[in-house]
Amino acid sequence: MQSESPSVHNEAAGARSAAEPIYLDHAATTPVRAEVAAVMAACQAEEFGNPSSGHRWGRRARGRLEEARATLAAAVGVETASVCFTRGGTESDNLAVLGSVRGMDGVAGGHRAHVVTSAVEHPAVSAAAERAVREGARHTVVGFEEGEFDLDALRSALRDRPAVVSCMWVNNETGLELPLPEIAAECRSRGVRLHSDAVQAVGKIPLSLADVPVDLFTVTGHKICGPKGTGALIARSRRGIAPLHFGGGQEDGLRPGTEDVAGAAGLAEAVRLAVAEAPAESNRLAALRDDVESRLVETISGVRVNAGGLRRAPHILSLAIPGIDSDTLLATLDADGIAASGGSACASGSSAPSASLAALYPGDTAASLRLSFGRLNDERQVGRIVTVVADAVARIRALWAP
Amino acid sequence: MNAGANDRRRILVAMSGGVDSSVAAAMLVESGHEVIGATMKTFCYSEEETAASRKTCCGLEGIHDARQVADRLGIPHYVFDVEEEFTRDVIDDFVSEYGRGRTPNPCVRCNSNTKFRDLFRRGRVLGCDGVASGHYVRLDRSAGEPRLLRGTDPAKDQSYFLWGLPFELLGLLHFPLGELTKPEVRERARALGLITADKPESQEICFVPTGNYRDFLEKKLLPTHPALLPGAIVDHRGRVLGRHSGYSGFTVGQRKGLGGGLPERYYVLEIRPDTRQVVVGPRDLLDVRGAQVGDVNWLASPPRPGTKLLAQVRYRSAPHRCRVVDCDANSVELRFEEPARAVTPGQSSVFFDGDRVVGGGRISRVMGSSY
Repeated sequence: MQSESPSVHNEAAGARSAAEPIYLDHAATTPVRAEVAAVMAACQAEEFGNPSSGHRWGRRARGRLEEARATLAAAVGVETASVCFTRGGTESDNLAVLGSVRGMDGVAGGHRAHVVTSAVEHPAVSAAAERAVREGARHTVVGFEEGEFDLDALRSALRDRPAVVSCMWVNNETGLELPLPEIAAECRSRGVRLHSDAVQAVGKIPLSLADVPVDLFTVTGHKICGPKGTGALIARSRRGIAPLHFGGGQEDGLRPGTEDVAGAAGLAEAVRLAVAEAPAESNRLAALRDDVESRLVETISGVRVNAGGLRRAPHILSLAIPGIDSDTLLATLDADGIAASGGSACASGSSAPSASLAALYPGDTAASLRLSFGRLNDERQVGRIVTVVADAVARIRALWAP
Repeated sequence: MNAGANDRRRILVAMSGGVDSSVAAAMLVESGHEVIGATMKTFCYSEEETAASRKTCCGLEGIHDARQVADRLGIPHYVFDVEEEFTRDVIDDFVSEYGRGRTPNPCVRCNSNTKFRDLFRRGRVLGCDGVASGHYVRLDRSAGEPRLLRGTDPAKDQSYFLWGLPFELLGLLHFPLGELTKPEVRERARALGLITADKPESQEICFVPTGNYRDFLEKKLLPTHPALLPGAIVDHRGRVLGRHSGYSGFTVGQRKGLGGGLPERYYVLEIRPDTRQVVVGPRDLLDVRGAQVGDVNWLASPPRPGTKLLAQVRYRSAPHRCRVVDCDANSVELRFEEPARAVTPGQSSVFFDGDRVVGGGRISRVMGSSY
């Protein structure tokens, strides 16, 4: 019964809106594209062997795994050996942060580990930093001034050689781009390891790791029409990074466990396609986003575009809408056929106070709405998106009036 | 059982993640209604997230369970953050009532304000024309104006907690469990394969999952609040028998926890916040002849002075026959036909005509005690 009634078979909502539902939550996750599914299906049928095995099936799987590694490395401009496959973005982030802290033992014996993160990190980074604090590390959070990343604060945090600095490339809630070239230059000049969670950046903004000296770099499959549960930590050097898992020594011991060859192949194909298509696709998404943005700003009174006026990735539109609550807005939009999210998807399904928005707009309590665009969207949807969102806001405001 | 085309409604069901509201939702789906599940997020879990809060009906586990049940039933489910309203109408009131030496019913406040009025306001935006819960009460629509009745199972009847419902909402409410017993509800849950079928009953107040009110009040009140300061324990004749460390820990009718040195069969008779005295005495002195009831809400026409009513002054206690001495829009003075025991300021007094809830209010003071 469970499998027959997923939430898309939402009769109550369906009755309300006869029109096709519109998916505007690509920053949460995306559907697997056909090319990727085909690569994976072939892999699962043919290259099922264990890459550690010495026989021909093992060799074949190993060959496919290394091919995926080379494809992924080429797509993001790094050496093949620096790609460590993981089981997703959270795992890569955890490994970068906690692995760097735990790897310090013996390297800088006696020195208390220090972790530096931006104030807008995903919980996969910020919660890992909190965990590091429980293990004895210090944690410095670098904030924003008028929407600008506080490079001065970063510089002073770098003075005592932190174990790792972690700054995401594109913020998942607002689309805000962090100044990674500047951050990387600062870290490089101090010889400090820099990690960047780039899961919202790949395929959305031009990225070349050949030009930006980031030491550790997180990618994931499911944000770019690849499979869920796949990811990689690109590590230019693995020295001083302790693994979080222990077992058979796969991925040079950094992420042991029998490799998911089909997942790695799917991830590599998704990254390859996303990077290749990025110039055209990001223009297309920016045009869609800008169109929806300007029309909603015109229609809804008092609305503010989060990170508006700052450098933003093209696929995320985050709005602060006063006078309503975000849970009611999202439920109404769902009933009316639009899938969106609040600041970001939270385990409880409710709007949690967003650390990212609090860092950018201290003290602001307006409801936030995130519309994130992708392959399931085109310009024919714009009119309906604007009408449905504006109408929902107006209805809620009317019923909220005392 | 099935709703005909004209009776088919879009109904928002308040789902706590417990077995009762799960089955209520399932029954409405079976009746052919369009059902939307809703769980209220009532207070900040990040501060209070403990093993104890996970177990209560409204913690994250409750949200998770409610969502699982909704998925199983094939209905949408949303979580609504009502923390602001809940804090204002329920938690702040709870703290202020204990601060005044009274014993509040926070579940009544939630039902009167948050669970139906505030939730339904959100439901209306979703196009809902009704709101339902898993309370064991009945709603009789046969006689023109809707009548709220006790649940048929006396062991589970929850009408005591619903006197504060806004009358204008009454006709829009649905209580599918009103004619069932708890074992029948569990049986239905099992038959439907709901994960909540054998979940234990929640007993504590959701925002004090540990059951330790004193700790909670110490966090919410200033340390210099009279309710937290030491005071005298006196007997019914005014003799000082001992000291207490703050009257906020006491409730009328309580016997345990009075400390050593007191006569064994003494009960708390009264709390006097102005002098911080806790008055104790033998059990028969808990009897009173009348009560003043404030913050009154009527679910039927207000009675005239002289009208005979039944007044229930505690959850799970038998109602008392009484007569209305005086009545205005906001308050009622009652005289009990027989002396009533442990009538406690702050608790609800719910007025019944037979099984029908005609109204209720909060006991503001008692009259005619015999000491």
